[in-house]
Amino acid sequence: MNDPVKTDAHVLVWDVPTRIFHWTVVVLVAVSWFSADNGFMRVHLWSGLTLLALLLFRLLWGLFGSTTSRFINFLHPPNKVMAYLRWRDGALYAGHNPAGGWMVALMIAVLLAQALTGLFSNDGLKFTGPLALWVSDDVSTRITGLHGTIYNIILALIWLHVVAVGFYLLVRNHNLVGAMFTGKKHPRHVPAGLNLNFTRLYIALLLLALTAGIVAWVFFQGVP
Amino acid sequence: MSDRKNDDLMADYLQVEAQTRRQFVGWGAGGLGALFMNSAMAAPAPHGDPTALNFVRDPSTPLSVLPPQFRAKVKRVIYLHMGGSPSQLDLFDYKPILKRFHGQECPQSLLAGKRFAFIQGVPKLLGPMFPFHQAGKSGAWISDRLPHLEKQVDDLCIIKSMKTDQFNHAPAQLLVHTGDARLGHASLGSWITYGLGSENQNLPGFIVLISNGGTTANAGKPLWGSGYLPSVYQGVPCRSAGEPVLYLQNPQGVTRPERRQVLDAVDEINRHAYKEFGNPETVTRIAQYEMAFRMQMEASDAMDIKKEPAKVLERYGAEPGKTSYANNCLVARRLAERGVRFIQLYHWGWDSHGTPVDEGVNVGLVKRCKETDQPTAALLADLKQRGLLEDTLVIWGGEFGRTPMWENRGGQEMEFIGRDHHPGCFTLFMAGGGIKHGISHGETDDLGYSITRNPVEVRDLHATMLYLLGFDYRKLNYPYQGLDQKLTGVKSARIVSEILA
Amino acid sequence: MADFGPGRMSAPAYLACVALLTVLGLGVAMWAHPAFLHSTLQSIGLEAVPRAAPGSFYAVRVAPLFESRCAGCHGETREKGQLRLDSFAAVMRGGADGAVIVPGDTKASELFRRISLPPTDDKAMPPSGKTPLTADEVTVIKLWIAAGASGEVREIKGAPKPVMEVTIPQSDPATVQRRRAPLAAAVKDLQALFPGLIAYEARDSADLEVDASLKGARFSDANLAALSPLAAHIVRADLSGTAIADASAPMLATMTSMRLLRLANTKITDKTMEALAGHKALKSLSVVDTGVSDAALEPLKARGVAVYGGSHE
Repeated sequence: MNDPVKTDAHVLVWDVPTRIFHWTVVVLVAVSWFSADNGFMRVHLWSGLTLLALLLFRLLWGLFGSTTSRFINFLHPPNKVMAYLRWRDGALYAGHNPAGGWMVALMIAVLLAQALTGLFSNDGLKFTGPLALWVSDDVSTRITGLHGTIYNIILALIWLHVVAVGFYLLVRNHNLVGAMFTGKKHPRHVPAGLNLNFTRLYIALLLLALTAGIVAWVFFQGVP
Repeated sequence: MSDRKNDDLMADYLQVEAQTRRQFVGWGAGGLGALFMNSAMAAPAPHGDPTALNFVRDPSTPLSVLPPQFRAKVKRVIYLHMGGSPSQLDLFDYKPILKRFHGQECPQSLLAGKRFAFIQGVPKLLGPMFPFHQAGKSGAWISDRLPHLEKQVDDLCIIKSMKTDQFNHAPAQLLVHTGDARLGHASLGSWITYGLGSENQNLPGFIVLISNGGTTANAGKPLWGSGYLPSVYQGVPCRSAGEPVLYLQNPQGVTRPERRQVLDAVDEINRHAYKEFGNPETVTRIAQYEMAFRMQMEASDAMDIKKEPAKVLERYGAEPGKTSYANNCLVARRLAERGVRFIQLYHWGWDSHGTPVDEGVNVGLVKRCKETDQPTAALLADLKQRGLLEDTLVIWGGEFGRTPMWENRGGQEMEFIGRDHHPGCFTLFMAGGGIKHGISHGETDDLGYSITRNPVEVRDLHATMLYLLGFDYRKLNYPYQGLDQKLTGVKSARIVSEILA
Repeated sequence: MADFGPGRMSAPAYLACVALLTVLGLGVAMWAHPAFLHSTLQSIGLEAVPRAAPGSFYAVRVAPLFESRCAGCHGETREKGQLRLDSFAAVMRGGADGAVIVPGDTKASELFRRISLPPTDDKAMPPSGKTPLTADEVTVIKLWIAAGASGEVREIKGAPKPVMEVTIPQSDPATVQRRRAPLAAAVKDLQALFPGLIAYEARDSADLEVDASLKGARFSDANLAALSPLAAHIVRADLSGTAIADASAPMLATMTSMRLLRLANTKITDKTMEALAGHKALKSLSVVDTGVSDAALEPLKARGVAVYGGSHE
């Protein structure tokens, strides 16, 4: 990289919003875990709400965002996924590969479920989720149980995610972590003649403002 | 359930809307003639349906006798409320250690985070003002201010661990008497007459007798109000001097048969209105008119303590013609004999801040004890001797306790010895059917500041009282504002099983 | 960035490393949280699940306490601090910070330390805002731990007496209706004849109460005799101040279920007392202001009947 005349320049595949989204989620999941475990419920509430806004943003970004961020471009039919997992798929993928695509979808779904159940949960003490009063105490307590179960599923998914990333790094010599920081991949990992569209940043900001607004609105629904 | 209440509101509305037309007909000359028609009114069935298994109160017979949910231990309640709240530390809850620390500064740990009605800064501890000794077979500690009650001490169940969450008189009194610190809830007597009806159809089921301080003290009339229950269940204040109930007797020149005629006509109109609009308040009005008519005979008799032998008057310290707690205690016994369900006595003036002299623990409290000790003891002895204590529940108590600290209003010590309001613990005693006697329940710490054992919430007391009367406190309710209202409120209550016989 | 060249590991080697690290990670977790280890071993059957014997002190006194006061947060739905207190095994296993019970050592038992902290303490259990355990409840747990936190021991000396909560009698309308059926017609007739005089003692009962005291002198021996079809069902009768006299003795003799009888201020004499000799259920009798003598009351008093009145009142 020190070579200023390097011809095989890295190709930009991840736009800024997707990258920021990814690492913010990582931080927020950690913060959520730590705050819940230590009883900082105010912090837990805000990290949960932020997470919810980001996840909703990601859903929209999956529809209106850049090429590599769109669900349509990385959610492949099952036969293709099976073929990929058996290494029968010789194709290169600029963004998520067929297995990783579903991993992303699953992760978003589970985190979303966690954020949503959190809204209706209560800790049996002084803290209740912003919408916990919408449901009966009994239902809220059952949702809280679900919130705990989903936490374990998230742990399993994180494990799987890290193992897979490690696999690409160590076995296939494909550094996905670095790419998620810089947004760029070596041309060796990118199909030739790639034509990626990048959605404008202000659209991302608009979408984020929209989802943050939705979350704020939902939050204030629960405030008596 | 709340539909019923909506129907009531609708009925109110329709009735108001129809008012002008009805008035027009009613006040027309032709109308008047028609009103004096002989009414073929059947006497209201005094019973309702006593065989009904579920609690059903037919609104057209609001005071008919209904059996309790399960076998009751007591048939009636005499509640002796000591308004203003006597000091438990100078009467029942003996604290020798507090005495040892008398005059020292109150430890900071008792003051941290606490709010008092008047105490500010760091007050001094105030030991018991009077000598205590153990009395009776039960060996209960009692101060020398209650020499008569001392003789009945083995009949008492003394609860030293009552607590409340209100530190001002009016809300605390409302909490004790209606189960809620806010206005608008039904009082104990209202709930009980609603649940059981009135045994004596010639007397109200819920009578209020007041001594030492008129009717307006602190929380006032809502203490015996019916709240959301139909107003037929509210307490009727009676006087022990003069006419027992004001405006009950016929005006000069009106004979009893004439009065009857008027009532028949009015009832007929009301009955018509009820048929048309179905408003339970209309029935209440009919019942009240009829009750008042029947009371003209019975109330005077029941309240007339001149009919008691001199020996009995002497025992109570009662003097006919006066308004006194002693007279009221004797009247209470006469009412109990006549099937009145809930007899509520109020004796005001127990507030002991030490600001004016009459509020000194060493002055006012002594006077209040003198006024009440003998009559209370005489009432208990009299009921016991007649076998009535077996199925009567007598409750004595204030609305909260008093602090173990010498009140220092505005940070200054009072001229007279006083104690501030203390919701943290107070003493109340019960006597009568279904409960253990000669026992103390609950304990407070060595300074008499906090409960250390078996706290009893006001709602627990209410739940226990309803249990003794044959009701599950969860089942005796009334739909209002979308909630099945209960005497014990929405928090869970506990029947104090430890004191049940 | 080393994007070129072959991978540093083969796939099988990588997966083996992952498996090893995972097992190692779980091992460390179990070492750090023995509760996790035991619950895993117990759930896959490698370790016997400790159980408390039915009827043991734990099962009778301690478990209900944990269940009602703790399991809301330390139970199936919530597992605060990864501690569950809804089974003997879970209690003994402890939570995220290890065992909470040290058998025989209350001081070392975290659970006891937490429940005995002042309620205002941050670490107090149940946490602030919840009702603290009562002194008796704390003592029960303390004694149980001190006695070895066993699931077998049945009795522990000095344990406070259990608090019996009141159970409200549950009535079954069909049963009550059936028991009332034989007398329903007579009750209805008599209620019509004497309004307010006779009633069932409770909505769940077929026993009757009579209160004639409000009728006063208008209630005679003949009136009482009219109640004869129901005599055996009357458990409580207040005839104070009525016109009844010894002529009612035979009628009173048939009221054999009577628990409470009030004859105050009537004309009855010792003769009527004889009629009550066979009333085994009688608990309370009032003869205040009557001509009944102490001698006639003696047998009743000897039987434990609470008697009010008599010639030497």
